[in-house]
Amino acid sequence: MSTQSNRRRFLAQMGAAAAGMALPTSRVLAVMAGPDKRKSRVVITRDEALTHGRPAEHRDLLRKLLDAAMQRLTDAPDAASAWRQVFDHGDRVGIKVNTLGLSTQPAVVDAIVAGLRKAGVSAEKIIIWDRFDVELDAAGFTLNKSVRGAQCRGTDAERIGSGYQRQIETSGRIGSSFSRIVAEEVDALISVPVLKDHNLAGVSLGMKNFYGAIHNPNKYHDHHCDPYVSDVVSHRYIRPKWKLSICDGTRAQYNAGPGYHPGFAWPFGGLIVSTDFVAADAVAADLLDAQRKEKGLKTLADDGRPAKHIATAGTRGLGEANLARIDRIEV
Amino acid sequence: MDDLSNMFFEPTRRDVLRWGVACGAAGALCHATSASTMAQDVASGLELTGPKLEGVARNEAMFWEKLDEKKVKCVLCPRECVVADVERGYCGVRENQGGKYQTLVYGALCSANVDPIEKKPLFHYQPGTTAFSIATAGCNIECKFCQNWQISQFRPEQVNSVLVTPDRLISACKARRSPTIAYTYSEPVIFYEYMHDTAALAREHGIGSVMISNGYIQEKPLRQLCKHVTGVKIDLKAFTEKFYVDSCAGELQPVLKTLEILRDIGIWLELVVLIIPTLNDSPEETKQMAEWVVKHLGPDVPMHFTRFHPTYRITNLPRTPVSTLERCRRIAFDAGVHYVYAGNVSMHPGENTYCHNCKEELIRRVGFRITFNRIADGKCPKCGTKIPGVWSQEQALAFKPRT
Repeated sequence: MSTQSNRRRFLAQMGAAAAGMALPTSRVLAVMAGPDKRKSRVVITRDEALTHGRPAEHRDLLRKLLDAAMQRLTDAPDAASAWRQVFDHGDRVGIKVNTLGLSTQPAVVDAIVAGLRKAGVSAEKIIIWDRFDVELDAAGFTLNKSVRGAQCRGTDAERIGSGYQRQIETSGRIGSSFSRIVAEEVDALISVPVLKDHNLAGVSLGMKNFYGAIHNPNKYHDHHCDPYVSDVVSHRYIRPKWKLSICDGTRAQYNAGPGYHPGFAWPFGGLIVSTDFVAADAVAADLLDAQRKEKGLKTLADDGRPAKHIATAGTRGLGEANLARIDRIEV
Repeated sequence: MDDLSNMFFEPTRRDVLRWGVACGAAGALCHATSASTMAQDVASGLELTGPKLEGVARNEAMFWEKLDEKKVKCVLCPRECVVADVERGYCGVRENQGGKYQTLVYGALCSANVDPIEKKPLFHYQPGTTAFSIATAGCNIECKFCQNWQISQFRPEQVNSVLVTPDRLISACKARRSPTIAYTYSEPVIFYEYMHDTAALAREHGIGSVMISNGYIQEKPLRQLCKHVTGVKIDLKAFTEKFYVDSCAGELQPVLKTLEILRDIGIWLELVVLIIPTLNDSPEETKQMAEWVVKHLGPDVPMHFTRFHPTYRITNLPRTPVSTLERCRRIAFDAGVHYVYAGNVSMHPGENTYCHNCKEELIRRVGFRITFNRIADGKCPKCGTKIPGVWSQEQALAFKPRT
């Protein structure tokens, strides 16, 4: 191999690297998100039947809806192929639910576990988790700490304080101990928030859901939780592992969250799904704002609590926050 | 300044060797005491083996207001957290449950030790006595250099705690013959209700109470508390808003306001300033701080300039040079502060107490130990000058707020 050809190859590599650097990270994620090379894709799947009765009565419907959303998201020919495009059969998958206030529905998580099984992920490699056993239990999840089947447990599970790493991790302005589940036990993450309002952050969606992965979320609620939410999800324990956002809108709340207020409950009856977690949150926040307007309430921004953390995440290249550049697909 | 020469001496070889031995001993003591403040070591051996907490204790909090949509506003500390239903305040130990604000740490002790009062440090408050020292989890600020971050920066369910009622704490304190209970280690303002009730009951039993605090508290709860406590030490972290914002997630002005209120109340007060290289060690800042203290609090409030050791989120800065602490002392003396100490530097003459009038050495300290105390009836034995402080339990318990 001549020196000249080495030099040429080197220059070519440099050019390619420069082009890669010039490409916004959001675009890279958008490319990863699906076959549409121009936009991040967010799929909204709804069914009138979900607005009636309890979500647990619609387990089959939820599986069908979620599989359909995954197919649309990936343009895969069937559900199994769709799940396999996002997850590898060897992945250890953490499903981060949200059990504070209006909670993620166990029936939605059942549908996710069924989808992962289609990708070949064994149940024993799946952990459904949140902060506390007691909150999971209260939300209707069945705790499972055995070695058989999908596990379901809180970070604070075995004994008090045992579930967090001992060292402090710094990411941007936060300094926190992370849940051992997210730090050590899984290599793929699915965030399953609830479509709901938050009195400080504006919304509590997929990114904010990961406040449940750190030991001290109470320290990071100033300034509408911004830029702290982006700081948390940017961390190496989360961003590289985060494969999918599935926002649970079977029951939603458009005001006075995160605590449950029946007066502001909203039977949205659907799911919001994306591999671009910023885009998923941007679309979900937009849906909440639309509902607020319909109910005669101020938008989140006009109410003095804009969801700034979504815009910040977009600015930082964590995903696409600009609604005009998001391919919103309703199925 | 000649009379102060013994406080700023050039050490001889013999002095250095003497320091080495003493520092080794003090280091071992410090290691033992700091380890015992760890959450895993709750109150063992202190007759405080109460029921282990699984989860959190729940009691209605003091000092909060109801808002709409089940929200509450905490008015205990200057943060004034607005907290939605099921959420917690910044401190992590107060929670809104259905529109009612609750403290989760009433009696939930994660640390308990019998310490020398000098460890607080309080140098003019019954020197040579002990303080039954307790803490719960939580803090209302976040200092990136916190020495007790394993408890102060965690929530109550994340540390091991035992439930100890105020009367049981007082019994344990009596059994250890400590004249004082110190609310310390983390931030006592966040376990205000427990401190308030315990301090009130302790006085009835002839026991004093000292609050070792960051001073981040509102006026009303502070005045209410000072009806019961008998001494206060405040950590004045720095004298710039920038430092408070960047390094503590707090603000300076509320702390200065607290200090002025404490002055008006007339309670015994000492100040500690942890000097961190490059962050709060400029001579100008020290001068402004000392001048403010003299002007607003008076010259008799002791100031302790203490040595920083890398910890928690500041591990990239060196320990504070002793020469920096000595410079701080000089500046404060020059500004008119009567009693200025160097801390975390065992055997340094700056840890001793000298009469501000005649410079006679009154109290000599080795680490947290007193080797002699010449103060008699609260006065310098040489010149008869009254030495500011609390020198007896009778004096401590006789305290009543001036305003």
